[in-house]
Amino acid sequence: MSDCTSHTSEANASIGRMSRPEAFTQNIDVSTLVDSDGGLIDRSIYTETSIYAQEQRRIFARSWLFLAHTSQFKKPGDFFTTFMGEDPIIVTMDKTKTIRAYLNSCRHRGVRLCRADAGATKMFTCTYHGWSFDLAGALQSVPNEKAYPEDFDRKQWGLIEVPNVQSYKGLIFGNWDKDAQSLEENLGDMRYYMDAMLDRDPEGTEVMGGVMKWTLEGNWKLAAEQFATDWYHVNMSHASALMVLSPTGRGPKAEIAATPGRQFGSENGHGAGFPTHPKSRFDARPVHEYYDYEALRERLGDAAVEGPMTTGHATVFPNFSYLPVNGSIRVWHPKGPDKMEVWAWVLVDKSMPDEVKDAQRLYNLRTFGPSGIFEADDGENWSEIQAISHGFVTNNVPLNFQMGIGSERNDGTYPGQTSELYSDAAGRAFYRHWSKQMNTPAWHERTEQA
Amino acid sequence: MTEEVVVDQLVDAELAYKIQQFYFREAEMLDDGHFADWLEIFEEDLFYFAPLRTNRLRRQAALSIGREGEAAYFDETKESLAWRIRRYDSGMAWAEDPPSRTRHLISNVTARWASPTELRVRSAFLVYRNRLQTETDIYSGGRTDIIRVREDGSFGVARREILFDINVLMAKNLSTFF
Repeated sequence: MSDCTSHTSEANASIGRMSRPEAFTQNIDVSTLVDSDGGLIDRSIYTETSIYAQEQRRIFARSWLFLAHTSQFKKPGDFFTTFMGEDPIIVTMDKTKTIRAYLNSCRHRGVRLCRADAGATKMFTCTYHGWSFDLAGALQSVPNEKAYPEDFDRKQWGLIEVPNVQSYKGLIFGNWDKDAQSLEENLGDMRYYMDAMLDRDPEGTEVMGGVMKWTLEGNWKLAAEQFATDWYHVNMSHASALMVLSPTGRGPKAEIAATPGRQFGSENGHGAGFPTHPKSRFDARPVHEYYDYEALRERLGDAAVEGPMTTGHATVFPNFSYLPVNGSIRVWHPKGPDKMEVWAWVLVDKSMPDEVKDAQRLYNLRTFGPSGIFEADDGENWSEIQAISHGFVTNNVPLNFQMGIGSERNDGTYPGQTSELYSDAAGRAFYRHWSKQMNTPAWHERTEQA
Repeated sequence: MTEEVVVDQLVDAELAYKIQQFYFREAEMLDDGHFADWLEIFEEDLFYFAPLRTNRLRRQAALSIGREGEAAYFDETKESLAWRIRRYDSGMAWAEDPPSRTRHLISNVTARWASPTELRVRSAFLVYRNRLQTETDIYSGGRTDIIRVREDGSFGVARREILFDINVLMAKNLSTFF
């Protein structure tokens, strides 16, 4: 059985003679706001409402967005509600055990259809007038249906379905573009780096109960970009946490702080960085002791075990990030230009004994949960970027992404273009792709030739 | 303890007063930033737990409070709390530098005997945090403590379950204690 499941169907939103005026969707050319080669970013991309709206159309409505983990669905009717960009989404398992995703909005008058975060159900019934939809999204019952015109057809009023839902090693992603490049193709070389977390165990991964959710002042890209490209902040931002975690209580040794490593940046905007120093591990001791490193070397290769399996960071463009060291997987949901909502799960290997899973869980919560000793200092930085960035002069001063310009190369060991650990290369790649997507019409803009 | 203890019965006025003062002194320590002193109110085998709360359909409401062993806001031992407190003392914990201003308000205290030497005490809290210029957070919730009454009559918190009245945490972090 392939680990990549796929399901496509037609979104059926266009009914009657409805269309939207062009004035709603005036697009801004962002090419002068992002200088990926020169390493400069205009701060308006974090603050402008019009750019934020364009991101909803040209980034979130056409990219592969993380929805949920396969272990959240065990039997038909299990559901989980989330967002794709600002669009509310129901993810559920249908009767054939296929994972499907729908817009969480009643087709009748638009109420949020499902108000629970997760659960199990046979039908999604709207609490406003009682329109009721089955697990395949079909409109099954309409109270007083006889009063509708003769040509009213329930088949036309099923839930709007996300046409493209695919998974990679337990991670389920959705894309509103039915013709999008497949998830695996889009991930490309990024799969190698993801496998270092997702494929340690032949049984795969699972998430432990619950999603930690918190709000933050800060544009979503500040977090996504940092997880793609930024090992540079670790020694400064997380100085207190590193000190507490280090065996001496005085912080990591200089040789560990100055560790070598690599940073991968993809043409599709994905990024991952990791030290390659064999002693730079910061994972929980029971997890470290559990792993059979010889078997892992066999399974993943030496370079993966000595690199991206250790303490590292990564972002799958646009807003899914993870940390291999503690199984934190998270989405940065955009909530307006100035706000994001962080949703974070605890990922563990399925075969881990319970006490090892628990050690991973505790380490995850205590370092990168909302009370985590690392997380708090990241959040403070992002909110303090955002809080001052509406000043006119402030907003006009570009930001620096110049570290490691020209250092990107194929090093013969790690797939794709990689740079040094301390580099902005993946950040430049992230914004290069962002800029390209922002300047390219999306599927919903392709007008039919008359 | 010489008095007759009836499990689940509310404690007498004198003990209720002592518990209340115990909580007020705890709140003072937190608001004054005396975290190392605060840690001493806990027993060595402490379990300090703040589960997540999810929106569930009423028929599945039993699942709305996260269980032990799941993701949580806090899942701590005395040692892990000490770890967090040491971080503040490092001088490099930037999320609390400059420090926030907090006010822990504790009320609705009910104390019942859980065993001849332990109390089950429920209380409500409203914690106000004001940070930097205008950042303001309000954390509301309830606590259920198991408090050991020691031979000398002093108290030690052995277990604390904190139930925040939230679904999505409406703050950028939890950098104070409850």
